[in-house]
Amino acid sequence: MNRRYRISPEGRPQEPTDAEIARYRDPKRLVYNYHRATRLFHRRPLYKDPKAFLALLLIVLLAWFISEVVDKEHQAKAPPATDQVTE
Amino acid sequence: MTPQEEVHIARAKSDPEAFAPLYELHFATIFRFILRRANDRELAADLTQQTFLKAMLSLSRYEPRGLPFRAWLYRIALNELKMYWRKRREVVIDMSYAEVRGLSEEVGLPGQDEDMRRLAMALSKLKEDAARLIELRYMDGMSFAELGSVLGIGEDAAKMRTHRVLATLRTYLSPRA
Repeated sequence: MNRRYRISPEGRPQEPTDAEIARYRDPKRLVYNYHRATRLFHRRPLYKDPKAFLALLLIVLLAWFISEVVDKEHQAKAPPATDQVTE
Repeated sequence: MTPQEEVHIARAKSDPEAFAPLYELHFATIFRFILRRANDRELAADLTQQTFLKAMLSLSRYEPRGLPFRAWLYRIALNELKMYWRKRREVVIDMSYAEVRGLSEEVGLPGQDEDMRRLAMALSKLKEDAARLIELRYMDGMSFAELGSVLGIGEDAAKMRTHRVLATLRTYLSPRA
């Protein structure tokens, strides 16, 4: 990042007055954002919630079950292995 | 720091709603401080809000140690500006003749238009830390004690650093540079 300075007789545009600055003040939004930030920061991990934990467990079990079924189907379709006779 | 301010800080550490008086007290100062660098009112409002949010979130770690609360807010504001500027390739800082009058006297420039152009070019050559120090001292008009508290150094160290930066500026302004 380059920093460049511009020096002129008037400098920046006129500074806002106290009344104009007061319009940007919003203490309610600040407190709301604070609570939002702290809630996100202290949020309980998903696996520590019993309901979410059960749901995650169910998904994992279902995935495992499906993979087992698919695996067995593949084995059933494959031709039986034959012993090779060597002379 | 006033005793009342200390009371507000102590209360706000346990109750976020009690931060309101501190917000009311310092909002305009921090807004102007940011606006001098950001040059955009909406952006300055956003960054000021962000500065106060960060201050609220880390208030439990704040220890006065004799430093003004405002200096701590300035430090957070500078960090917010730095984070915002990281996304940009160039930052333009406007200064008026009145703001740099003290600086131009220190570096021995009479203050003509051409001198101001040279001074702007010399300032642009400074490293970020040195440039920030000049801004705090001449654009914000901070005392060495206040400058030291914002930069986290002592008053004497702030004075010494400023003199060193001024010497660098004089080198940049010398005809051989």
